[in-house]
Amino acid sequence: MTLLRLIAALVLMTLPAHAELTIRFTDGEIEPMPFAAPNFIDEGGAGQFATDIARVVASDLQGTGLFREVGAEAYISQITSFDAPIAYADWKAINTQALITGAVQASGDQISVKFRVFDVFTGEQLGDGLQFAGTQATWRRMAHKVADAVYSRITGEGAYFDSRVVFVAESGPKNQRQKRLAVMDYDGANVQYLTDSSSIVLAPRFSPNGDRILFTSYASGFPQIYLMDVGTLAVRALGEQPGTMTFSPRFSPDGNRVAFALERDGNSDLYLLDLATMQLTQLTNSPSIETAPSFSPDGSQIVFESDRSGEQQIYIMSAVGGEATRVSNGKGRYGTPVWSPRGDMIAFTKQNEGRFHIGVMMTDGGEERLLTSSFLDEGPTWAPNGRVIMFTRESAGAEGQAQLFSVDVTGRNLRQIVTEGPSSDPAWSPLLP
Amino acid sequence: MDRGTRLSAGLHVGLILWIALGDFFFSNDVPPPIEAASVSLITDAQLKGLEARAPKADKPDDKPKVAPKPKPAPKPQPDAPQTAPVAPVAQPLEAPTPTAPLAAQEQPIPVPDSPTPAKPRPIDRVAAVPVDDKTDTPEIADTPTPAVSDQAAPDAPVVTENKPAASPQEAAPVIVTEAVDTKVDAPQLAPTSSRRPQARPEKPIEKPVEKPVDLPADAAPDPATDQAAADAIAAALAEATDAPATDTGAGQNLPEGPPMSGSEVEGLRIAINKCWNVGQLSSEAMRTVVTLRVEMSEAGKPTSVEMTSYEGGSDASAQKAFEAGKRAVMRCAGANGYDLPADKYGQWNVLNLIFDPAGMRLR
Repeated sequence: MTLLRLIAALVLMTLPAHAELTIRFTDGEIEPMPFAAPNFIDEGGAGQFATDIARVVASDLQGTGLFREVGAEAYISQITSFDAPIAYADWKAINTQALITGAVQASGDQISVKFRVFDVFTGEQLGDGLQFAGTQATWRRMAHKVADAVYSRITGEGAYFDSRVVFVAESGPKNQRQKRLAVMDYDGANVQYLTDSSSIVLAPRFSPNGDRILFTSYASGFPQIYLMDVGTLAVRALGEQPGTMTFSPRFSPDGNRVAFALERDGNSDLYLLDLATMQLTQLTNSPSIETAPSFSPDGSQIVFESDRSGEQQIYIMSAVGGEATRVSNGKGRYGTPVWSPRGDMIAFTKQNEGRFHIGVMMTDGGEERLLTSSFLDEGPTWAPNGRVIMFTRESAGAEGQAQLFSVDVTGRNLRQIVTEGPSSDPAWSPLLP
Repeated sequence: MDRGTRLSAGLHVGLILWIALGDFFFSNDVPPPIEAASVSLITDAQLKGLEARAPKADKPDDKPKVAPKPKPAPKPQPDAPQTAPVAPVAQPLEAPTPTAPLAAQEQPIPVPDSPTPAKPRPIDRVAAVPVDDKTDTPEIADTPTPAVSDQAAPDAPVVTENKPAASPQEAAPVIVTEAVDTKVDAPQLAPTSSRRPQARPEKPIEKPVEKPVDLPADAAPDPATDQAAADAIAAALAEATDAPATDTGAGQNLPEGPPMSGSEVEGLRIAINKCWNVGQLSSEAMRTVVTLRVEMSEAGKPTSVEMTSYEGGSDASAQKAFEAGKRAVMRCAGANGYDLPADKYGQWNVLNLIFDPAGMRLR
């Protein structure tokens, strides 16, 4: 036995180990993933909901630009029961990589939706099945929640479909434009108006939990910031000071403070208002124009725009004020900076050589990337997952209109958000509970 | 005549001859022609007028001229408060703008043949939903109209292309944002970006070639004895290494064959690579490198795929990166498996596949 051990040791030392074949992949494809979302199964009383929910789920996923729906006309097999085994071969044959099955049940005003996601080529279910319940009036929200779950399971990203957007709905000719606040689903559906058009409103902003909205209104004859309770639509003015104008408000991440710009004698500076004590703190004191503050997700810093260098640029300072650091470096003028919910990037509006751009940069100003280019693009707002940006695009000419667009942070998938009329100043809500 | 008189006469005659004929013999200089110039008288006032109109000559500079260094682009600095005094530090002069020498005649300006700059190959995923023409047509739909109609001739047979309903979309390695796609004003005579060079193919692992040894017929080993010895050695090896034997290849006599050639390895890489779709991965998953261990059947089909390690991300992002890699391996195997040399099964029965999307990261 000792001899055998000795032989084995010698063999181990002298013979090369059996090397497994190793291959490195560095350049894959970037293309939308084909998926199928057959109409959900009606398990009783669902009626049209079974189809409508599946269509909203498919629309949400396809709208990201990361997925591509395989049409029902290509299906080889049908989903006849929620618990029926999946005929993977049939779905592989039409190159479907992800399959979403679901079922809807309705009883009275209540409706419940359940779903599963399958990876067709590995033959595995992705995560457990989930079920949502609610009233029939909230069927679109349930569809968005299903899509959110599917999106997160496949991509690993946070979700954003079950969210709302507050914006300014415009009407009338360009030189006599009437503006009022409205909210809608992220995809433009379910528009609800929050104010009438008796006074001009601008720059609405959701609170971190979506229960309040800050905005600027000319109701008093000059710009003034207001706070609206979304549940009751009650409105109150903030930071009123005689002889001043206040505008461009933004909540702190904890929702307890508001940073905004206050203009006095032709000069504007940034201020911080504590909503509990109504104590006002001046953050900047400069003869230049400072405006458009936006908090970092941890609340420790504020990014804002200033022309203190002689040209509109982006700066970052502590949330309690103090020395600011310029972060925009390129040619042109930068404005309306907004910190990403992830904290890694800043979205901005850039004007250069007669064109406007929506762009993103790292928080140190590096890796600037312009995502859009047009006659007038401005006012970016981040989706709750920090992957998509919505903004206002206005076309040229007397007949030009403001419209809402969204674009992936990579610059792909530029899409118009279809609204009833001209729309501007979008602000994304957090993901709804 | 005395001797002195004759000597004097001779010297005088010589002197006279030298004076008369000396230049003829000793000098052949031709006198230079005389240059004549016509002049005219001018008054003092006329002279001052001429001097005033004359161009000023540059002062001669004895020192060699050194081109001033171009001023480096100033690094972005936080702007000092405007109330702060300006530091009295001499600033370097701006470098003069270099100018090309003027041509005597106006030269034609070279223009590119194409009226529009070269554009990256369009990807229909960008702005997949066509933008309403009324909103901003020039910024989105700026594809030049082709000079030649692509319509079929009236008498040409109509050919309908049978496309599978679920055929994969065309993908491209270059991401064209709208900001890039609509930048038509600036001349782009050269491509502004190029595809990243592909990594050098993995060098095939060189394995020692096993040469058959001709044994004499009478030296044929006894199979039973051989098997017993092999089992004993295998057991001893397992004991020595404390490593559990794996199912794949353990105790089996897998055909090793000659080493996998570079083209065989590259063929496998390409076969899997075309199914590796990272388009739907999260930003974090795109920063995650995963290593997959794939066990293969002799038919070239993957029988087991597991993640052995990852780096650069979280557990969740590694899971998504693993799923994308596994999907690629399973999807491109198809019904018939990968086309691999059966006589080298021992070399590819287990594959280590490293999926590294760092080069495709979208930051």
